[in-house]
Amino acid sequence: MLARLITGLTSGAGYALVAVGVVLVFRSMRVLSLAQGEIGAFGFFVGLRWADRGIPGVRWHISPLLTLVVAVVVSMLVALVVERFVVRPLASRPPIDALIATLGVALFLALLEKEMFGTAAQFAPSPVGAWKIEVFDATLTAPRVVAFVVLVVVAVLTWALFTRTRFGLGVLATAGDPAVARVLGVRVRRVYRFAWIVAGALAGLAAALLGAAFGGIAPFDMTRFGLRALAGAVIGGLDSIPGAIVGSLAVGVLESVVGGTFEEPGTAELAVLVLVLGTLLVRPRGLLGTEGAT
Amino acid sequence: MKPSQILAPVAVAVALAWSLLLGDVKISVLVGVVAIAIVALGLDVLVAWVGELSIAHAAFFGIAAFTTVNVGDRGAPWPLAIVAAVAATALAATIAGLPSLRIRGLQVAITTLAFQVFAERYLFTRGDVTAAGRSLPRPAMLEGDVQLYLFALVCLALVLVLRHRIAVTKAARSFVAVREAESRAPCFGVRPGPTKLLAYALSGAIVGLGGAVFAMKAGSISAKEPFLLIESLQLVAIVVVGGRGSAAGIVTAAFLVKGVSQFVSSVPLVDARPDRVFPITSAALLVASIVAFPDGIGGIYRAAGRGADRLLGKGGARPDPRPQPVDPLGTARRGSTLLTVPRPLRLRMPVPALLRARDVVVEFGGLAALDRISLEVRRGEIVGLIGANGAGKSTFFNAVSGLVRASGSITFREVELVGRPAAERSALGIARTFQDVGLARSETVSTNMLLAQTWLVPTPAAGAILGFGRSAADERAVRHRAEIALELFGLQHLADVRLGDLPYGTARIVEIASAVASGPDLLLLDEASAGLAPEEAHALGDRLVALRDELGITLVVVEHHVPLVRRICDYAYCLESGAVVAEGEPAVVTEQPRVVASFLGRAHAATGGRVA
Amino acid sequence: MSTQVALHVDALSSGYGPLQVLFGVAFDVRAGEIVALMGANGSGKTTTLRTITGQLKATGGRVLLDGEDVTRMPPEELVRRGIAVVPEGRGMLRDLTVEQNLELGAYVVRDRRAVRDAFERAYAAFPVLAERRQQAAGRLSGGQQQMLALARALMSSPRLLLVDEASLGLSPAMTETAFDLLLDVNRTAGVAVLLVEQNALALDLANRAFVLERGRVVDAAEGADVRAMQRRLRDAYLGAEAGEVTS
Repeated sequence: MLARLITGLTSGAGYALVAVGVVLVFRSMRVLSLAQGEIGAFGFFVGLRWADRGIPGVRWHISPLLTLVVAVVVSMLVALVVERFVVRPLASRPPIDALIATLGVALFLALLEKEMFGTAAQFAPSPVGAWKIEVFDATLTAPRVVAFVVLVVVAVLTWALFTRTRFGLGVLATAGDPAVARVLGVRVRRVYRFAWIVAGALAGLAAALLGAAFGGIAPFDMTRFGLRALAGAVIGGLDSIPGAIVGSLAVGVLESVVGGTFEEPGTAELAVLVLVLGTLLVRPRGLLGTEGAT
Repeated sequence: MKPSQILAPVAVAVALAWSLLLGDVKISVLVGVVAIAIVALGLDVLVAWVGELSIAHAAFFGIAAFTTVNVGDRGAPWPLAIVAAVAATALAATIAGLPSLRIRGLQVAITTLAFQVFAERYLFTRGDVTAAGRSLPRPAMLEGDVQLYLFALVCLALVLVLRHRIAVTKAARSFVAVREAESRAPCFGVRPGPTKLLAYALSGAIVGLGGAVFAMKAGSISAKEPFLLIESLQLVAIVVVGGRGSAAGIVTAAFLVKGVSQFVSSVPLVDARPDRVFPITSAALLVASIVAFPDGIGGIYRAAGRGADRLLGKGGARPDPRPQPVDPLGTARRGSTLLTVPRPLRLRMPVPALLRARDVVVEFGGLAALDRISLEVRRGEIVGLIGANGAGKSTFFNAVSGLVRASGSITFREVELVGRPAAERSALGIARTFQDVGLARSETVSTNMLLAQTWLVPTPAAGAILGFGRSAADERAVRHRAEIALELFGLQHLADVRLGDLPYGTARIVEIASAVASGPDLLLLDEASAGLAPEEAHALGDRLVALRDELGITLVVVEHHVPLVRRICDYAYCLESGAVVAEGEPAVVTEQPRVVASFLGRAHAATGGRVA
Repeated sequence: MSTQVALHVDALSSGYGPLQVLFGVAFDVRAGEIVALMGANGSGKTTTLRTITGQLKATGGRVLLDGEDVTRMPPEELVRRGIAVVPEGRGMLRDLTVEQNLELGAYVVRDRRAVRDAFERAYAAFPVLAERRQQAAGRLSGGQQQMLALARALMSSPRLLLVDEASLGLSPAMTETAFDLLLDVNRTAGVAVLLVEQNALALDLANRAFVLERGRVVDAAEGADVRAMQRRLRDAYLGAEAGEVTS
């Protein structure tokens, strides 16, 4: 049981990386992005393709570690394109339009993956080595450990960003009131780009590590992983980064414990659904969210 | 008869005739496409009318299809199986929509996504749910593919009729109120919670029919591919590319996304299989459409219709956006019709004080926006509320309307308003306007006039759709009242103009007219004269006095236009920082030092009222 | 006082989509002076300010800052040229602390020492803010928020201050205090002020004044005439409606 809990924490860490990106984008622009999971997956798929068949033209089969680097870089680029050409034009429209647009991006990327890589799961070798560690009965593979460590680093970095840097303060100001932030000199467009690029990078990281941790990744998988991250973000509070982390860890633990205990397929999904609905019914703003989250 | 009106029926007839000439195999495919079109039309009710996104509609589709087979295989007659599917899916959708009572649209999308994943990984893996091994026998009269296709078309026609009924009754108006002004909807008598659930139920019912058609074509369903997440996303693509709210566009999009790939063996230029190209193209179109062509294919159809109108010289000229002069005598007589409202006797009794506020407090985050306000409005008065910006005047209106939490007592005809649900106000006899025009800008003046009178069609929206009880007669009555109210303000020529296309000043008058149409005893007007020229403000003042004299409406007006207050008000209160600092006859109040100081500063208050 | 023009607004038109609100508004603000732009609700005064700062796109005319055409410049760039804005309703970032709000006021200031000096000056001028520096801005009273808004705007040592309805929601006494502060800042630091107001008390401080009505400048006054304009506004308030006779 403890083993399942610990394993769940590491899956949750992966979801948390995506969820932090979702919250970052939501707080700064009030846009809920359903595409985060798929953006990360796309980046990782490209990395895997280059590892498997080599970079076109160069014939260089990249190493597993580089698949992670490629995942991050490609995801960041895709996120940049999405921010500039899909989300920014929708700034003055009702929020549902941007939501639908990100849904369209997720669908497009997933279908593109299906086209380029087929529907079978791609085997994903671990980018960070094949070592394992034992923690209280649980055997944690390298990607899982790295995912957890990365999450801790990200948490510290975001805390430092918001409390110690001027740019971070600008992000907080934009989150509070973009019009006021602008007249104080905050370059709000840069804040938006920053939010998306970071969210993209985190999604790429998460896809690479989770894909390896789960043994492989197939198109539309990340939408399901993305759903768990979204669930985590919603449970924790859509405008709270600590909330996103706590919520995602909770989702990871819940699905690991429930999935391991019950035989029937899909009970983990049922449990996550119940957790989401239950949290929203009791506290619509999420565990750590503020009024702005509802 | 404008070309744009007959264009659609003609196009439909042509498409229909052509499709019947296709071979059997192709017709069988078309049945599947029609089923998807029906499901998309169901999703559209939610997305276009209420403005909520559902990512669970493929799951609902699955529930519908499986239920049809489940019930049909157990010996029930096939019409019963269809009814069961419709009911079960409506129920499932309503349950999935319950979170929308507590949270807003963005997060609801996530709960529907969770529902979809739960359905495909839990519900649809259970044999008893998926009717594994069962099959639905094809009814005798639908043996042939052509008959089945015609049956599918009949179902599609039913759905279109249902959508039409929604559109012409209070249901659509309530949905629009929730979509555009959810926090203010109760002022029109619309309750957002039940309204949203109704939308989910209707959406589910329509999907139920689509699923039943699909099941009847398939007979037995072994694969759950059509009900997976990717299909949910493709349904959204069909709705958006087709054009939210446009039935013709959505049916076309369904055909394009799901049908064409079956008829074309290869796609030119790309040299790839159609069933791989079309989905990804539809995804790209979804993104392109929402960013650049939000009206979708339906927008193209509408533009074509307008073009045809202009070509044949039947295009309409733009009406003058200003109110026309009003004939006082004629409208007074017609206007008295508005006095007939079904209000219980106890709410019609003459009482001296219509509205009484005692020690009302409204707090926002620790700061008191209203700090123990007490005031009284007598029947037949025009009371002015003046004060600098931010003094609490609009907050007071919000407290009376029930839109903010207040403590203390506000009674209307001895009925305590504090703690009472806001949606009851219009039935009690209170109507109000907002500083920034609280109506639905994307709808016509006419629709907004009807929206304000929601309480006058007491039949619940669901019943109104089906035409139950007095709803048809009530509907005619409110349309008649809307006409009269528009005449009272010289706006009858603007009935079909989109509210958002009107200048600010005219839109405000439309708002007043809509409030009057709801037959109130007490009308709260928030800065009705803002932005009006002096002559227009003067005319407005006259109309307000006429409202009181001829229709017996008691008025409370928040005003910055002090001369107007002095001319038409019987009593005035001056607010400052959430408290009443002066009250009395307008001529006296507006000259009190404290009041003058609010507007001009204390030094001027000290030198007294008039200039020597 | 020099006659050098700091801000020059020339035949400015703008609006929201098809709805035009400003029809050729023209006025200017010279270095070191206080100019009042008066108008009632719906007169277009907030629209004017938004168009000047670039939050709203102008459809015609120009805005010149020290001779430079800044009509198309977005607000975040304008602020880097020595303009600071006190937005309508004070624009408090309610979830951030007093100190964070002040620091944001100095967002465009690169020199760390200058920022520290600005903090010292702000806390010296507004001891109340020093006491509450870690409090969330949303918890301050209306008057304290007004102080914070002003202090924040001054953190960047601007040459021109644009103040949008400082009197909003304030009692007459607090409004007087706010105006006194502006006068003080103008006298000691030589900061020019454009005061957009509904409250005619603003004319007590103004060197020059303009009246806006339905998107057009309908009255202007300078020096001693400003008092006369104040009396005209008071008469309008007290009852000179079209056709009505004041005794």
